[in-house]
Amino acid sequence: MADASLMADMAVPSSTSSTPPKASSAVAHEAPRNAQPVQPLARRRYALEIRQHMPWRWQALILAAALLAGFAISAAILIAAGVPADELANEFVMQTFFDGQNFRAVLFQAAPMILVGLAGCVAFRARFWNLGLEGQMIWGAIGATAVSMWQIGPENLRLPLMFIAAICCGLLWVLGPAWLKLKLGVNEIISTLMLNYMAANFLLHLVYGSWKDPKDNFPYSPQFRLFERLPELGAGIGSSILLAGVVALLAWWLASVSRMGLYLRFVDANPRVAHASGVPVRRTIYGAVLLSGAMAGLAGFAVAAGQEGRLTQAFYQGYGFSGILIAFLARNNPLAATVVALLVAALFVTGRSLQVFYQVPFSMVQLIQAVIVVCVASSDFFIRHRLRRVGGEAVQ
Amino acid sequence: MPNALELTGIRKSFDGFAALTDARFSARWGEVHALLGENGAGKSSLMNIAAGLYAPEAGQLLVDDNPVRFTGPRDAAKHRIGMVHQHFKLVRPFTVAQNILLTAPPPAEFQSHGERLREITRDIRNKAAELGFDIDPSKRVDALSVAEQQRVEILKVLLAGARILILDEPTAVLTDQEAARLLQTVQGLARKGAAVVLVTHKMADVKTYADRVTVMRGGRTVATLQPSETSVAELVKLTVGESIAAQGFQPPAAPRGPVRLSVRGLRTPASPEGRRVLDGVDLDLHAGEIYGLAGVGGNGQGELAGAIMGLEGEPTEGEMRLEGHGDLKTMPASVRRSIGIAAIPADRYGLALAGGLSVAENYAIGRVHTGCYGPVWRLRRNRIQSDTQEAVRVFDVQGVRSVAQKAALLSGGNAQKLVLAREFGKSPMLVLAHSPSRGLDVRASAEVHARLRAARDSGAAVLLISEDLDEVLQLADRVGVMTRGRIAGEFAQPADRQAIGQAMVDHG
Repeated sequence: MADASLMADMAVPSSTSSTPPKASSAVAHEAPRNAQPVQPLARRRYALEIRQHMPWRWQALILAAALLAGFAISAAILIAAGVPADELANEFVMQTFFDGQNFRAVLFQAAPMILVGLAGCVAFRARFWNLGLEGQMIWGAIGATAVSMWQIGPENLRLPLMFIAAICCGLLWVLGPAWLKLKLGVNEIISTLMLNYMAANFLLHLVYGSWKDPKDNFPYSPQFRLFERLPELGAGIGSSILLAGVVALLAWWLASVSRMGLYLRFVDANPRVAHASGVPVRRTIYGAVLLSGAMAGLAGFAVAAGQEGRLTQAFYQGYGFSGILIAFLARNNPLAATVVALLVAALFVTGRSLQVFYQVPFSMVQLIQAVIVVCVASSDFFIRHRLRRVGGEAVQ
Repeated sequence: MPNALELTGIRKSFDGFAALTDARFSARWGEVHALLGENGAGKSSLMNIAAGLYAPEAGQLLVDDNPVRFTGPRDAAKHRIGMVHQHFKLVRPFTVAQNILLTAPPPAEFQSHGERLREITRDIRNKAAELGFDIDPSKRVDALSVAEQQRVEILKVLLAGARILILDEPTAVLTDQEAARLLQTVQGLARKGAAVVLVTHKMADVKTYADRVTVMRGGRTVATLQPSETSVAELVKLTVGESIAAQGFQPPAAPRGPVRLSVRGLRTPASPEGRRVLDGVDLDLHAGEIYGLAGVGGNGQGELAGAIMGLEGEPTEGEMRLEGHGDLKTMPASVRRSIGIAAIPADRYGLALAGGLSVAENYAIGRVHTGCYGPVWRLRRNRIQSDTQEAVRVFDVQGVRSVAQKAALLSGGNAQKLVLAREFGKSPMLVLAHSPSRGLDVRASAEVHARLRAARDSGAAVLLISEDLDEVLQLADRVGVMTRGRIAGEFAQPADRQAIGQAMVDHG
């Protein structure tokens, strides 16, 4: 109903509307937020209003409804793809969380996922749209691998050195876009995204070239030595999940306890007010963005040293999108991001088993992620707007 | 001659603040009718009612002697009323023709978009030729100068069919030659039978171009006169009110101290038309004094405030020496705040408060850098909370149920009190107050004024920038008048109100 009323407004541009006349149909879905269209619908008139404030109970209810809708659509797609309906619950809930081996797989998968999700949260809190998580992740892995390749430092310091190298490389890869944005106003969405391709091609250059494992001819680096790999904590659980947990706590502390958290809230709420109130806006943005790059670099480290044990050619794929999605669904809250990342990891693991048992392509996982994001993003519309009967009471 | 437009007994208030109490106005067909008054006199509000933007709380609106009721600008356009706003309502990336098409009345029969655009382009060319405007309809608006954009606005309302033309401060952004050309053009429109309302504060324009003038003051209509039979001095007197020099003025307890801020030759870069928003500001601000900067809005006050606060778009020439700290220009905004420059900006939710954040956060942000709320790695929330509660109580901020509530839920006056609580919480060395009592009721204004006096008496240098002459005269120990980006005159208290009013409206 709301969409229809927006369309109606587009057809008759009002004097204050900024809709381009030549593209009225193409932009109908991205209607201006402040429009108050009026639509005659069987002699009733409705207006769309901006809602100042909504009680959090209602917000939670709307969010839950959106998630339900997302799950329902995803289920419908999976059933259409050939997964029996009665198996869905079993595959997604029972097999994933209540089967020991699968649950370990989820944790294994979750560590880099949590790290990229946190990287997204921290950057987005500073209104910096870091779409270069994959590139920073690749560089993190390259940095860690370089320490292993060149055998820098004694054996017992090797892993910490790899850790530091990963942080520094990820951080440096995002420094350029941050500087370009703050100094020259270059849009970081473009710069960070494009740098992903540079990083990915450089990775291919390495694994097909000088860093190729001499033992066989596959495109990956030589296997890390045992002391260069993240140890197991026991019971088959890797220490990378512990690392991710610690980073999540640090991110939560930064956002909620530290002074920088307050600065970030002001930068996020209104950069002009922040600047005028004495918040060091530039330093805050630099800090958050570099931290984001460092976390993404750590995610690369977690994959290379915690999962693969070497540098491979496609380890990063899908993490960039997942990181953005996790941060978005978690509303940039680090603790919520950890939970969401676990769920996304579960989706990945389930997706792999669906692939094996039902021949469902793995890209279905990304489709499901996208469906859920679209549903949650749409729910925002109902949180921010209300439909009001003109001259009457609010409808919703 | 019949009245084209008549407004009687109009009342309108915003957030409980009465902008118009008993305003009336009438314009006849074929005349240029000037509406004169200080900022905040209610001129723009009254004309926004005539243009259908605001609905009056009481009073009547007549077009051609018939009562009408508008629910929006479209209704007003149907009655052939068109308004050119002070801040242009143009879509900058669109061409002139596209902008005009947006507000043009819908065609009688179906036309493709291309046909419409071609027809509008033809209409624009014809109308522009008729008025002597040189406008290329296919040019993008952001490629036009300010004067050209204004011509587009005028073409827009005329092509939408307006015969009652309201121009809100049309010459404020123009050079003298451009202004003369514009006013001759609108005079020509009136001679051909249109009704033109000229909202202005410039006496010279009124004397030269207006057939009649209505003066407003404090939301009321004071008089309607023939400019040819009225002297400029009389008009000034009617505009600024009777000479009650320095009413409520309280001189400082102690003599003023040394110069704390010395501004020399402050200039912003010139626009393509050669205008500078700040054009050589020279100003000495002493410790322990309130320097009141009066002037009509838009003469560079906002930019001067921004330059002192350290906002972006700072002047490129000149210097601002702060006693003991050197030139302010090289100092980031955050450092300026930490050395004790307090600021009460005019744009409360654009510069002072983050509406989406809590009252406590908005209070704490002013002092958090001193470390009084814990070290960098830890904010002491309890202390912030108790301090905010205390400040809310001391500064009497009403409507705070909890300090965790959003600042956007506060009313204008209470939001301002929150800003004051934050800025005056520490003792500042320099206070910048820009229109600090705008939109506040009498009691809240009095409290704001008391705080400014207290800051002065404790040794701070206070720069009060205000478009409200009453406020300046009540508070300031010295008065400066800002016109066209410079200080046009300085007056010691008790100052002659008429002389200040005259300096405010003199240009060049």
